[in-house]
This record gives sequence, C-alpha cells and structure tokens, in this order.
Amino acid sequence: MHEVHLDSWLREFGPRGSERLEAESIAQVLDLLESRYPRLRYKLRDETGELRRYVRVFVDGKDVSATTGVATRLTGDRTIDFLHSIAGG
Amino acid sequence: MQILVGTRKGTYVVEGDGRRRSWKVGSLSHEGSEVFHVVADPRHPGDLYAAVNSGFWGPMVQRSRNGGRSWSEIATPLTPARKERKPEFNSDSPSSPVTRPVNNLWHIEPGLAGEPKVLYLGADPHLLFRSSDLGKSWEPIAAINDHPDRKGWAPGFGGACLHTILLDPRDARRLYVGMSSVGTFRSDDGGASFRPTNKGVMAPFLPTKYPETGQCVHHVAIDAADPDTFYRQDHGGMYVSHNRMDSWVRIGKPLGDDFGFGVASPASAPGKAYFVRLDGRARVTGEGHFQVHEWNDTTRRWRKLLSPKAFPGHFGVQREGIATDNLDPAGIYVGTTTGQLFVSPDAGRSWRLVPFQFPGIHSVSVANPP
Repeated sequence: MHEVHLDSWLREFGPRGSERLEAESIAQVLDLLESRYPRLRYKLRDETGELRRYVRVFVDGKDVSATTGVATRLTGDRTIDFLHSIAGG
Repeated sequence: MQILVGTRKGTYVVEGDGRRRSWKVGSLSHEGSEVFHVVADPRHPGDLYAAVNSGFWGPMVQRSRNGGRSWSEIATPLTPARKERKPEFNSDSPSSPVTRPVNNLWHIEPGLAGEPKVLYLGADPHLLFRSSDLGKSWEPIAAINDHPDRKGWAPGFGGACLHTILLDPRDARRLYVGMSSVGTFRSDDGGASFRPTNKGVMAPFLPTKYPETGQCVHHVAIDAADPDTFYRQDHGGMYVSHNRMDSWVRIGKPLGDDFGFGVASPASAPGKAYFVRLDGRARVTGEGHFQVHEWNDTTRRWRKLLSPKAFPGHFGVQREGIATDNLDPAGIYVGTTTGQLFVSPDAGRSWRLVPFQFPGIHSVSVANPP
C-alpha cells in the first residue's frame, strides 16, 4: 500500500490529506486519484498523459519527474509526493 | 458597467458608476494564474467566462454566473487527437507525447443572440473549439485543427495562439479566426471549411513579403455597423478590409511605426477604430508617453488622442489590452503590461487612470449594462 501526499495547492481539486492506494506505476496512481477526485484530472498531467512542466513527483524522496516520470514502476510500500516546482515570479 | 481585467496573477472585476468616472476594484479571483481573456456573455447577463492558464496545473475554462463574485471550472477542451488518454503501464521508459496538449487558452467568444448556448474558444497550439451547451463539452473544429497546412504553422513569440474569433452578426455560418504567425481565415459554412484571408498584408519577417499565410496577425476588430469591415493590427502594420477580409489596405503608414497588438471598434461610433501604437522594437508606447490613435474610416484620417504630457512613460499593451463599450459616447479601456488601467468615458477626449495597481494586464473587456 502506497501513501500519497499532494501539494497543499491541489487541495482545491483533490484529497485534503494523504491518500492510501495500491498501484503498479505512477500513471496508475494518477488514474486512481483522478477516479476518486475527478476535478484532479489534467491538473498533474495533461491529456497526452505526461506530467505537467512544473509538477514534480517524488518516490520515497527521490525525484523521478524528469527520469522515469509517469512510467515509474512501484513495488512494495512507497511514499509518493506530488509537488509543484519552484517557478514563477 | 463592469470592466473585466485578466492579469498575470488572476482576474479582477471593476465596477463603474453610470458616468464611467468612478471605479471600484473587486477582489482577485484565480489567484496566481495567468488569465488571458475574460468576457461577459451578453445573452445571459451576469455570466462571465475566463481563459485561465495556471503555470502549474494547466489551462482551465472558468465561469461565473454572478458577475464575478464566484467562479467554477467548466469543461476544458483537450487536444483532439487524443481525447481519451491511454497510459502505457508496461513501458519501463517514459513515453513521449504523441501530440501536443492544449497549452494555453486565449480567447472565448460567446455565440450570436440566436444561438444562446454556443461558445467558441481559441487555444494554443492553433486550435478552435465550439460548444453548443455553454461549455459543458467542446467539439474541435476540424477545418482548423486538422488543417492540411498546419504542419507548416509556426508559433509566434506568444505561442501558437488562436487569439481572435469574430462572428458575423447577420449570419451565424460566417466566422473569422486569427492566429499568430499564420494569419486570418474565414469560414462561410459554419466552420466546415476555412480559407486564408491575408491578401495585401505584409509579412516583413518572411522572404516572401505577401504570402497567402504566415502573417502574424495580432488582433482584429469588426465594425459594429458594417460587419464587412474589419480593422487589423498585424505585426506588419495596421490595416482595414471592407470586403469580409478578402483583401486588406494598409492604413498605418502615416503613423510611421504602425506596430502594435490591440485594436477595438466601438458600437456607437461606426467607422472608427482605436489602436495602441507601439514602438516595433521596444514593444512599448513610443515617444515616452501613453498614446491611443483613432482611425476614422470615413475621412481616412488619424487622430492622436492623448497629449505627451498626459501620461508620460513607456507602456506595453497586449492584444486583448484595449476594449470599447457600447455606450454613446464610447468608453475606451486600455490595460498595460505594467498594470495601469486607463479609461476614457468620452471617446478619447479625456482619460483617467483607475486608482489601483494591477498585476501586468493581459486582457480588458466590458460587461455592458443590459
């Protein structure tokens, strides 16, 4: 069972606290989150399935956004954080 | 009377008194998001639409049903080629996007009075959508979105934006679009087909100066009294067309540098258009002061509306940055990239600055009194 934490800015669209779920990949985590919270669709990834430019996903504290991204495989029990990157002005 | 202001940091609704001399700025909505366009739906008083582009969470169409007091997200159109997403779970490496997603939303155009549930929406990359249920769902306009030439359509500096949508008030089948670095197109069959309408417009940045397409149109206004007449601010100058965009005549040469982004034409003053002339290199008002130029299509003369002493400085104004209302005399409203909102309640005779420092302004429009 994975534990998923979402950026506080996303609470408008998704869960207010952490979420527990079973999934084999980051893409599947997103599928499950979006099925539970439909307003979360297309916020973390666009309609092509890719993470949005300023979205970062960490698995057990490791940033996988720019490496394996949504295709990152998940085994065991992981802690997954979705955050927005430092950007803007 | 409301001025609707889309900024780099969200949306403001500015309430005015009947004389258009006193303005009250409402609270900020869509905090932190770029709002490229806010528009009132004159068919449904109180309904507002906003093209909200969050740098983090992507584009969203938002609607208010109470004049801007509260907003909610409605359907946002997706890239037509992959309407339903199919994630690839078995791949060990990240998949590459097959098509580009909808990037930014640029313009929302309510349909004609006889089509009370129709909306049009222009987006990046060069996309046009139509809704027939007030934004519950969107249909891609294939004649633009699958146009055989679109592989050659390049983005402009602001992106591959479809930013101008104009409707012929006499005929719902006739509509016009403008796209950066592509030019203008007209449909006479309700969007089933489009043909380019750039004859006479120069593309100074291309080897061929008068191509069929490739002009970087910045914005176009339709003449309210004569919907066959259009006023165009292009990268290559200021133009007028009197034949449904079949051909264009450059009118800006007497101004010298006739670069700019915004143009508006008021309902109460047929044959007049207001342009914010900018220095073509610096992209701010030239000669060190805020200025608006009035084109009189009857006399074919220009008139500068502001003296150099009125508002000194260099001001940027974007393509949706100027608007007019439907009152007589016309109100003119100009928002700048440095957050000033200028108002003239008397067709340019006098000007005031709304006493509020906005974030950089992308768009200004007007919710006229019913």
